[in-house]
Amino acid sequence: MHEASLARALWRQVEAEMACRPARRLLAMDVAIGAFSGIEAESLEFALDLLVRESDWPDAEVRLRTEPLTMVCTACGREFAPEGLRLACPACGSADTDPVRGTDLRLESLDVETEDAETHSPR
Amino acid sequence: MPKRIRLDKAIVTENDRLAARLADRYDRAGVLVVNLMSSPGAGKTSLLEATARRLADRFRMAAIEGDLATDRDARRIIDAGMPCRQINTSGGCHLNAKQVIQALDAYRLHDLDILFIENVGNLVCPAAFDLGEHRRVVVSSTPEGDDKPVKYPVAFRLADCVVLNKTDLAEAAGFSAEAFRAGVRDIKADLPVLEVSCKTGEGLTGWFQWVAEARKAVGSPAAAE
Repeated sequence: MHEASLARALWRQVEAEMACRPARRLLAMDVAIGAFSGIEAESLEFALDLLVRESDWPDAEVRLRTEPLTMVCTACGREFAPEGLRLACPACGSADTDPVRGTDLRLESLDVETEDAETHSPR
Repeated sequence: MPKRIRLDKAIVTENDRLAARLADRYDRAGVLVVNLMSSPGAGKTSLLEATARRLADRFRMAAIEGDLATDRDARRIIDAGMPCRQINTSGGCHLNAKQVIQALDAYRLHDLDILFIENVGNLVCPAAFDLGEHRRVVVSSTPEGDDKPVKYPVAFRLADCVVLNKTDLAEAAGFSAEAFRAGVRDIKADLPVLEVSCKTGEGLTGWFQWVAEARKAVGSPAAAE
């Protein structure tokens, strides 16, 4: 579909995160692709790999996972993973449901090599 | 020292950024913007022709037309009485926000009540490219089959209205309105389905009403109303 432009947007985000942190090297990135995002994982991976290989951290690992669709029922508040395309609430039957996860592309985390005295994160 | 940085950030594309600017611009101008998407040949242009003829005395309307090639559709809409600006994507399978920004040079948005954007015929990619619109309409037609909603769930899920065109051909096409509506219900239960035939004119009143209501809900009070 338009995975190359998404890969570029994702990579720009990675570069921005790296630029504002005292991190020396990018080791790996975790990316979640929403099952209902319309994004094709293989094409995204292909485009991302090209960007990574051309970057300052050509050995960084790209870890992709599919985020299943999660809906929330606005009537009873229940969160559920719909079966197939039945998006109505399985508990109360209401059709008034909204997706909470699984519709977008998310940069979940970065594994980085930090400079010596980095103390931000609890370990 | 290796370290994990947790981010959980949604990726915002350049198109999303431009679309947000467009949405703001539409609102400031008080114009209702409707993005029409469908497979090729479902009847987007026919629907706009009918709309141009029928609603011209109620609303100040204009259109932006997206096609890979030719200005045939734009000419049809202009012939029906609605100003229309053609965008040729030369291979591009959807309209993006940048193209719309460029096409908008042709119009003074403040002078419009409704702007229709007819997307490139395609039910996959246009759904992923926000154009800042207030309403999304999916046009489907009976010869395409009654399983369109379940085969293209993303487009239908993001729609605010479905126009089911070519009802005059339903029988010949072996089309079941029941099955179509069941598919729509599964994906988005409150999504209205308007059955029309742009050829015979049947059912178009429902579409005109939907447009008028959307206009009332979105735009500033129209001078003509």
